[in-house]
Amino acid sequence: MMLTLIRRELLDNLMTFRFAVAVFIMLLLVVANTAVLIKDYERRLAGHKTEVQKSREYMLEGKTYSVAELNIDRPPNPLSIFNTGLDKRLGNEIWVYYGHVPTLWDAEKHSSQNPFMNILSSIDIVFIFEGVLSLLALIFAYDTLAGEYERGTLRLVLTHSVSRGHILLAKYISAMVCLLVPLLMSLILAMFLLTTSPSFSLSTPDFLRIGGIMVASIAYLSAFYLIGMLISAMTRRTSTALMLSMFVWGFLVLVYPNMIVAVIQPSNPPEERRASVHNHIKQIWEEFERERKHFLATDTHLEGDPYGNMRWRGGYNFEHFQDKASVLQYYYYAGAEIDGFHEEPESEALHVQNYHRFLVPLIIDTAEHTWRVRKPVLEELFILPATVDRSWLRLTPTGIYDIATQALAGTDLNGMQDFFTAVQQHRQSVIDYYYDKNAFASRQWFSSDKEVVDWSALPQFSFQRSDISINVKRALPDLFLLLTINIVLFIGIFLIFVRREV
Amino acid sequence: MWHITKREIYDNLNSLRFALTTVLLLALMVTNAVKHLREHPKRVQRYQDAVTESLSHLTDRANDSLYTLAQYGPGNFYKKPSPLHFCANGGEPLLPDAVEVDEPPVFMTDAEGNRLLEGIWSLSYPDANLHNKDVGPKVSQVDWAFIIGSILSLIALWFTFDAFSGEREHGTLRLMLANSIPRHTVLIGKFLGALLSISIPFALAVLVNLLLISTASTVHLTTEAWGRLGIIFAIALLYTSLFVALGLLVSARVQQSAVSLMILLLTWVTLVVFMPSTLASIASSFSPAVSFDEFWQQRNPIEEDLWDKYKEGLWSSELDNRKLRAKSEFYTENAEREERRQEEQLKYRTSQVHRARAITGISPATLLQHLIEGFAGTGFERHLQFAENTQRYTRQLREFVADTDRADPESLHILAVPEGMSKKPISPDAVPRFEDTLNLSKDFNTAAMELLLLTLFVLVLLSGAYLAFVRVEV
Repeated sequence: MMLTLIRRELLDNLMTFRFAVAVFIMLLLVVANTAVLIKDYERRLAGHKTEVQKSREYMLEGKTYSVAELNIDRPPNPLSIFNTGLDKRLGNEIWVYYGHVPTLWDAEKHSSQNPFMNILSSIDIVFIFEGVLSLLALIFAYDTLAGEYERGTLRLVLTHSVSRGHILLAKYISAMVCLLVPLLMSLILAMFLLTTSPSFSLSTPDFLRIGGIMVASIAYLSAFYLIGMLISAMTRRTSTALMLSMFVWGFLVLVYPNMIVAVIQPSNPPEERRASVHNHIKQIWEEFERERKHFLATDTHLEGDPYGNMRWRGGYNFEHFQDKASVLQYYYYAGAEIDGFHEEPESEALHVQNYHRFLVPLIIDTAEHTWRVRKPVLEELFILPATVDRSWLRLTPTGIYDIATQALAGTDLNGMQDFFTAVQQHRQSVIDYYYDKNAFASRQWFSSDKEVVDWSALPQFSFQRSDISINVKRALPDLFLLLTINIVLFIGIFLIFVRREV
Repeated sequence: MWHITKREIYDNLNSLRFALTTVLLLALMVTNAVKHLREHPKRVQRYQDAVTESLSHLTDRANDSLYTLAQYGPGNFYKKPSPLHFCANGGEPLLPDAVEVDEPPVFMTDAEGNRLLEGIWSLSYPDANLHNKDVGPKVSQVDWAFIIGSILSLIALWFTFDAFSGEREHGTLRLMLANSIPRHTVLIGKFLGALLSISIPFALAVLVNLLLISTASTVHLTTEAWGRLGIIFAIALLYTSLFVALGLLVSARVQQSAVSLMILLLTWVTLVVFMPSTLASIASSFSPAVSFDEFWQQRNPIEEDLWDKYKEGLWSSELDNRKLRAKSEFYTENAEREERRQEEQLKYRTSQVHRARAITGISPATLLQHLIEGFAGTGFERHLQFAENTQRYTRQLREFVADTDRADPESLHILAVPEGMSKKPISPDAVPRFEDTLNLSKDFNTAAMELLLLTLFVLVLLSGAYLAFVRVEV
């Protein structure tokens, strides 16, 4: 009996105009946009390559350790085609300096691309699914019960010995099968386009991630189908059901996500907190500065200025405090690159080396100290409001779907943080390397007169996107939530439909 | 015809969709107003603080001497926040809010750190606002541009999808046409009816929104701002009529209202949601990233070139007018070249954005976005106007410096070098002040093309609806 019902529903759905339109519009949008997105990714990859080459060139230009320009560029995530998330928005160029712990908030945008282009709206495949899949699901669902009721066929079906639950299940299964056709077809075509593009090298875990995105899409589709079915079960006329469905769609997809973020206000103004912590960090550095001055004053040779007693032939030195209050960035930055001296400054040089042997570990310690202060506040100022926004968005299936797919693609905040954690580790390994080479106490720290720094032995930065199991773990709560919504909706429909008079 | 219009309005007023629309629009507009009232005072405060600081730099320098003013220039320039920011956000957080005045470059120092060769200031255009470190979810701003562009257009379709197909299903269309009314009258009646029924909740929501904003003491709207709001409202109606016409067109052609709604919704999704983003992505692929070689070539060729040109003059041993003149020319030309390089980069990037905007203009939603931005005084065009204002002011200031120097008989009238210029302090009040202004007629000029295009869209769709309805069999 069940099979008969499913077959009937399937035939009913497949032969309709709306099915043809659904397939057509999905294929058109997904294929056109995938082609465009691949181009876009290639462009970003080219920009990344330029930046990598540039930073290598800058690094090699530094002749002493203290003026080293170690820049790291964040490569674009190939799965950002599916869900861009934060991949395009956040800074992708980060400077590694021993005296400052780099974070996401210190990253800047690299200059290879026109920054004005960011004002144009961007798109990804999940965004298309969010809008169109939900719409198609509702279009398939609005008349599934109300229509049969209107035509009177529902009564006819129920005269047979079929349980109402079976009818619901048959309707659900057959409509989902119909809706899966355009979804799977478009995804497969998109994958085909991806594999033909030479710049994409997708690994097996990447395919598994895409599989995860597919599962999330199916769950999302089903949630909206069930919402449509619920409306259909509650109303008696198809026109009312259609009207209500469209309103619900507009509200859930378009109005709610944008409005809720505008409505919720950050509970306490973060400005004061930011200012006080900024002062705290400043004080830590002032403490450092006193110690530094004290050291300089006690060493009679240096007389307050480390390079003052040396007669240079050429070169430069600099020292200042870098200050950017908005992201609590404050640190001491100094360096020197002296090409040569007029007279042999052996004893003087030893004093300067001694000064750096004292100073640089102090800078590193102070940086660690400020980091311990800065880290929780950065989280409070930036991550907490974003988390609150996200949890409000979880009230709609669209929000959950977006968050889950971001986690799977690795373009969510966690994925971004992974990269910056790797950069922090890289900074640590650079510092360890300096310690190994005894670089601070060496003459090459500030002068290139005897020997230029050999950069080839410096530890290389490498970043692997997090393991698939971690991605899945991050996405699992939201996938589970989506599933729960499905089950709750189904039970709701069942309860309403069972009690309904035909 | 008025009869039909009236009937339509009565019909709509009593319907569920009218109630839902009113609630929805009111909620959105109130959200918009509250958000604006919360954020705008902060924005204005930030701007005023920045301007005060910049002015104090100017005053200090003028009080010091004319040369200091000529060397260090005024303080940075800041973009005045538009009071109509609630109409369109215009990607403002992604655009820079200042044009910076670069410190004079130091070409050479001696062993004691004295500056031997020290140039003059130049304008520089910073890339983007780097304060934007938002890690929150991606959402559109709830501004008028969003409410009108996405929500109101959807509502227009929602009101018109069954205009003809619904009547046909009920059989009332045949009844109506049995009377001696020409079909075009029916069409116009329906069109006006739908447009007016949408205008009622929209106007109500707009009124509530403006009431909230104008009664708050923190925000002040000038007469010109009200005029701009009037224009934006008119554009909103034009845009709505576009979608009303689209709804009527499809509704006249299709037999069932469900099918009509489906076609309309999918068209809407394509026009309003996907076309702007897809076209933008296509357009940005025309502006490739700078390759490494290009970058390397552009890197700092100016100074070396100039060194060669002025080498002899700069190194002549005695301090005579010839050396001073060489120095002056060297500094001025260096600043000019630096500025030209910056301007060229800005121009290049601007042309890329303009091309992209022209391509995305195929979608009426983008047209509307651009129009509202233009009249609200936010967004990209406004940013360009701001940059132009700073350039004009810079010329003015440089002329002022030259004129004041000419008035001083003790000066040698060799600009940009300390020995050749007036050393007297000048009254800060006499120095021209930078004023960031908006020009309504200029806005009209830039918007004219887009306005025309939008009107054309409406006319095409309306005549399409007319043709479809005239030929349709009832």
